[in-house]
Order: sequence, then structure tokens, then C-alpha cells
Amino acid sequence: MGKRTIIPFGPQHPVLPEPVHLDLVIEDEKVVEAIPSIGFIHRGLEKLVEKKEYPEMVYVIERICGICSFGHGWGYCAAAEGAMGVEIPDRAEFLRTIWHELSRVHSHLLWLGLLADGFGFESLFNHCWRVRETILDIFEETTGGRVIFSVCKVGGVRKDVDADTLKRIADTLENIKAEIKTLCDVFLEDVSVKNRLVGVGYLSKQDAIDLCTVGPMARASGINQDLRYNGHGKYLEVGFTPCVEEQGDCYARCKVRIDEIFESIGIIQRCIEAIPEGAIDVPVKGKFTGEFITRMEQPRGEAVYYAKAFDPGKETNYLERMRVRTPTNMNIPAMVKTLQGCDLADVPMLVLTIDPCISCTER
Amino acid sequence: MAVFKMAKVVLNRLFQKPATLMYPVVPREWTERTRGHIDIDVDQCIKCGICARKCPTNAITVDRDASTWEIQRMQCIQCGCCAEVCPKKCLSMAPEYTTPNTIKVVDKFDIPVKEKPAPKAAPADGAASGEDGLKCNAEECVYCGLCAKTCPVGAITVDRGEKKWEVDKDACVQCGACVDKCPKKCLSL
Ligand code: SF4
Ligand code: SF4
Repeated sequence: MGKRTIIPFGPQHPVLPEPVHLDLVIEDEKVVEAIPSIGFIHRGLEKLVEKKEYPEMVYVIERICGICSFGHGWGYCAAAEGAMGVEIPDRAEFLRTIWHELSRVHSHLLWLGLLADGFGFESLFNHCWRVRETILDIFEETTGGRVIFSVCKVGGVRKDVDADTLKRIADTLENIKAEIKTLCDVFLEDVSVKNRLVGVGYLSKQDAIDLCTVGPMARASGINQDLRYNGHGKYLEVGFTPCVEEQGDCYARCKVRIDEIFESIGIIQRCIEAIPEGAIDVPVKGKFTGEFITRMEQPRGEAVYYAKAFDPGKETNYLERMRVRTPTNMNIPAMVKTLQGCDLADVPMLVLTIDPCISCTER
Repeated sequence: MAVFKMAKVVLNRLFQKPATLMYPVVPREWTERTRGHIDIDVDQCIKCGICARKCPTNAITVDRDASTWEIQRMQCIQCGCCAEVCPKKCLSMAPEYTTPNTIKVVDKFDIPVKEKPAPKAAPADGAASGEDGLKCNAEECVYCGLCAKTCPVGAITVDRGEKKWEVDKDACVQCGACVDKCPKKCLSL
């Protein structure tokens, strides 16, 4: 048996997009234990509810994370609307679904790029991000922002998208599908890529359940759990198939996300066909009242949003408490589990396949 | 063959133009909605300060005494909130990004001082701006007149002797400055 050594990994590391720190206990080339620590980019955004009125808080919540920013804004608005009993118009809900699914496509393309970068395939990384630019351009055209959109508000959305633009978006997505397909084939079929992914970081279905994994991580281990079924947005109306794989390794997690890209494109196109005419927001006036929890399927998995007003009679324009539970938070225990017994060289793959978003986790 | 999957992508791209632009030689094309920077039409501004109060990052400072409107360009996150809340719609979101800089740029604009419009003392009947306008809870009001002094458009008249509080709903821009100032918190919008 070799001597045990501790190798610090992160928070600054070439393969890590986000600052997470791992103490890897190594024996020979094998990792025996991984001790994670976070806390490098805590910004105290939840505390800001005391300083920002609830309509302005959307801008803060959106900035929790740059990748699923729209989802965070939506989650907060949905919680606030639920608490105050606001019904939002159908068109707004459709637009939110479209933007959210576009975010999922861009998030997964970004992740595929990072994964390629993780196993040293620089050109593949650049190609994934090149295709992702198309989605960012759609965002810029429809919302004005490429990363942070600021279109969601309590009571609906701020900007409407006309029928021509929607049609063009559907066509653009149809066109880039072939391009995404060729790139995804590299991930799924190329021998050198498969060598890095297949059989690496196995997580059994039982472990996935015990460790409370969420999102693509859970779906890759055979758990058919997708929050889009719970009725937010227009998913049930336009229909969708959750992408589930059974193998539970890095390859399966990659496959799930690739399938989700195409599923999301389908959802967007069906939404564009079904979107009704009408108002895009309802006026919301007065103080913040009530208490509500919403659950959303973010690109990385289930996120929970909780909003609470001050006691009845003492309500103000501020929230008493706002809480976000993010998907990466739930996936870290599973990551630590899969790290036990893996090769040191596979650590980047394992950390990346949970698609860590530490900015969300620490807020 | 599975080993040459990437070759197809690479060969394809060899004959296409680069995906990137030669920044800064080739200018970027902005879309109509791009949120680049905030512009102000100084002639319209009434120095009410709503923009400063609503800005999530406190990037705006409105100095009513010096008659200036100031924005810290690096602090601004281009959310567009100020443009949305400005009662005179004198703020707008322009598409061009500000030039990259190594110092924190502060843009200061002088607001031309206007003659104060004579307060129209017509008592409000609630019709002008609907039922949502400014309201005063007469039971708590102490008629101190702070609201009238704060109002940027002079829409409020307070008569201490007569115990009368009136708002000219046509003139009121619903900025909420008086609501914040009121010591008894008896005003609401
Ligand atoms: S909200 Fe508009 S009118 Fe009021 S101070 Fe700001 S820019 Fe001027
Ligand atoms: S755009 Fe947003 S951050 Fe910038 S000055 Fe206006 S309110 Fe403040």
C-alpha cells in the first residue's frame, strides 16, 4: 500500500470553471477520499432582500448565476406571484418557457465545451462555444442582454417578441441542430473521448437516491425525475420526454445533457407554434404579502425558491426572507462519493460531470 | 469511422469565415434591444430621484441642490430599471456599450434649472390619475408640510392653520419622494 498524500485541488485550477476546493487524499494514483470546501464567492445576495424592494429584487436574484440567470429570475417571480396570488397571462408563461429552454440549450452547450476542455480537446471546446453564440445572439435580440436578461418581472415579462422573430428563432434552431448533432457525435462516438467517459465515475441508482442527487446527474443514474412535470411553465401543455439513462457513468451524464439539448429545441419550437396572442404582464401593486415555495427544473437540476412576507398587518415592500436552494448544492455529496476510488487523472471529469455552479451554491 | 469524427467538423470550418470579429477594428453590430448604457435627456429631468432610489446598485446620484444627475458607469449593471421607473421617461437605454476603461468612469450631467410651475391648487377629485394616486391618511397627518417642500413638481399644498392637505393629481408624477420623507408615514402611493 502506498503512502497517503493530500493534494489540494482548486479553488483556482485550469479545469475548474468555478471555485470549489477539494482536498484529495491520494494513495498511489487512486483517490481514497475527497473533502470538499466551498465559501470562496459568497456574496450575501439573499440578505439583500432587506434592502431592495421586491420588484427590484428580481435584478439581484438574476445575478446569482450567469448561466441559469433566467431560471433564477423566473423562480423568484413565480414564488412572489404565488405568494401574492397573481395570475400571469398565458403569453408571458410561454415566453418564459421559451427563454428558459434557450438557457438550457446554452447552458448544456457551455458545459459540453467545458467538458471537452477538461479532457484536453481544445478545438471541440471552441466549436461548442461557437454554436452557443447563436443562442446568445437570440437572447440579445429578444431581451437586450446576452447573459443576464432582466426580462422577467413579478407579474409577467417586460418584453414581447413578435411573430416574425419567433419564427426566425425556430428556423435558426432547426438550422443549428445539424451542427450540434455533428459536435455531439464527437462526444458520443469518438474513441478517445469515450475512453475518458465510459465507465468513469459510476453512481448507482440507489446511491443517487440516497445522496439526493437532482437533475441530469440523477437522470443519468436511471431516476426519472424532472421538475418540468410539476406544472410550472407550459411544459405539460406542449409535451416533452424526460431524458433518462441507466448506466450512471460520465458517459451517461454527457448523453443525458446532449439529449436534453435536442428535447429543449423541440419544446421551444412547439411553444412557438402554440403561443397565443395577448398581454404579457399584469400590474402588481401594493405591498408584498404571503409566503410561497416554488420548485423549478434548472439546467443543473431542481432548484427551490422560497419567499416570505412580514407578518400579516406589518407587510412592507420588502421580503422578510428569501431562500434559494440550488442544484449543485445537492449534487456535491454524490460527487464526493464518485471521487472515492477514482484515478487522479479522472478527477476533472468527475467534478465537471456534475456541472458544478458554485456561484449559485454560495449566492 | 469513429476516430475521425472531429475531422469532419474541422474540415468543414476550414472553408468558412472565422466565427470571431477582429475587435476593435471591426465594429460590433448592436441589436435594437441591446442594453448598452443609460442616456439621459437633461431637459426633461425633474430631479425627483426615483431613478437613484430604485437602482439596484445605487449607481445614480441625484443632487437637487447642485442640480446634477450623476451615474457611475462601472457600477451600473444595465438592468434598465431606472429607465422603466422614470416618471418623465427622460432616461433611455442606448445600445452601444461604453468603451472599456481602466478607471471608474463617473458621468455627471447638469440639469438646467427650470422655473417652478406655479402650484395648481385645484383640489383633487381622484379622476386624473385614477384611484391609485397619492393618498394621505388624514387621521395621522400632522400637517408639517415636509411633503410639499420635498415634491419636485410642487403638486402638494399643505395648510397648517386650516388643517388641509391637497394634491394636484395632474401635476403629481408619482415619484414617491414625499412618501419617503413623511415623518408620520401617512402617505401612500
Ligand atoms: S427618475 Fe427621471 S426625472 Fe426623476 S431624477 Fe431620475 S432621471 Fe430625473
Ligand atoms: S440601468 Fe439599472 S443599474 Fe444602471 S443606473 Fe439604471 S437602475 Fe441603476
